[in-house]
Amino acid sequence: MAVPILKQGDVLIASIQAALSDRDLDLFKDELADRVGRFRARGVVIDVTALDVLDSFATRTIRSIAHTARLRGAETIVVGIQPEVAIAMVQLGLSLEGVSTALDLEEGLALLRPRTGGGSRLGP
Amino acid sequence: MPIATRSGRSAELFSHEMEITEEEVNRRKAFLEFHKEDADALRGLNEVAQQYADPVIEDLYRHFLSFDETRAFFADPKVLDRVKRMQKEYFLRLTEGEYGGDYVADRLRIGTVHEHINLAPKWYLGAYNFYLRAVGTRLLEVMSKDPHRAFSTFLSLMKLVFMDIGLAVDTYIYARELTMRKQQEAIRELSTPVLQIRDRLLLLPIIGVIDSQRAQMITEGLLRAIRANRAKVVVMDITGVATIDSKVANHLLQTVSAARLMGAFVIVTGLSSEVAQSLVQLGIDLNRLNTVGDLQGGIEEGERLLGYRLVHEGEAGGTRPA
Repeated sequence: MAVPILKQGDVLIASIQAALSDRDLDLFKDELADRVGRFRARGVVIDVTALDVLDSFATRTIRSIAHTARLRGAETIVVGIQPEVAIAMVQLGLSLEGVSTALDLEEGLALLRPRTGGGSRLGP
Repeated sequence: MPIATRSGRSAELFSHEMEITEEEVNRRKAFLEFHKEDADALRGLNEVAQQYADPVIEDLYRHFLSFDETRAFFADPKVLDRVKRMQKEYFLRLTEGEYGGDYVADRLRIGTVHEHINLAPKWYLGAYNFYLRAVGTRLLEVMSKDPHRAFSTFLSLMKLVFMDIGLAVDTYIYARELTMRKQQEAIRELSTPVLQIRDRLLLLPIIGVIDSQRAQMITEGLLRAIRANRAKVVVMDITGVATIDSKVANHLLQTVSAARLMGAFVIVTGLSSEVAQSLVQLGIDLNRLNTVGDLQGGIEEGERLLGYRLVHEGEAGGTRPA
């Protein structure tokens, strides 16, 4: 199942609606890396609100998406991690080191705003 | 008899929760070496028991009434009558030869009743001692020609009585444990509040001992509050945590990481010098912890991150968030 990637100004929004197979994740990563360059995006928001599990492969893929996007000039923010998912992740020792997170899409976009426009930014 | 019905129900519950199954009862009997011969020997005693039941019970209650502590339970003559009747029933049951599920359920029920009215085990055990002595003496009288048989019957009775005591004491312990568990739960719930002190700023004061279970509850409660209050910054104050070992430290780190995954920034405050030193000595990687000395500093830092500015009225003629 492909993940729709929407363009909103200079931000790309990808909303993962269902658990992805490893192959889907790889495709998603390639697609996103390609679009960041093509649209000259400054920010990427990955919305995982609908997911009730994030396994190690998904976590690793998201991390590498973020690092790739940064090399291409865009900051990645993962939004909508649910409490249960967060607890499971820390218990499994999975981390999104180096990737910004926010409560939901709105917060994620707000976090990106100072990069693309004015506004105050929450610390580190 | 409201007490009897209420505890009757809880006795069933108890035997289930205490896992006193038929198998368990059989294990207990096996350990006491209570065999069919013992049941038979006791049944052979029933006729004799019928005869001396009343005087033994009378003696027992005279004994009870001669002590202040036990007399207090029988202030009401109606209660005394009823208890005597039940006591006689039990006394005869000891020699009826049926010691299956019903018998055990009855013992558990009696145990819960006694626990319920706060009859301490010492009086309960004392009463059994009285029983054994009274029955033992009479056994010797009745079987004066065959003291060997009297003694072996007495031993059979001992086995049964010890099983009964075991069951009753277990209900005592179980009831106390239940109370303790309930209190612990209550304390747990009371002790992990998540408070909103500014829009988007939460305070999580942690007091007392943190174990894995509580850490889990703290984390869950915090994450729920982060979502509900749309919090961006959390000040976690651990002034009230006396000691931190590596396990607790890891729990705290997990809480911080989980909060971060939900987009909230956690500031830890109130690390005492002892705690700070022991953390350093334990060699725990605390790079992920953002710490500020005390709670006030933590709240100020949180406000700063959120863009609040607190202005003293005397200096600027009004307090308002920036």
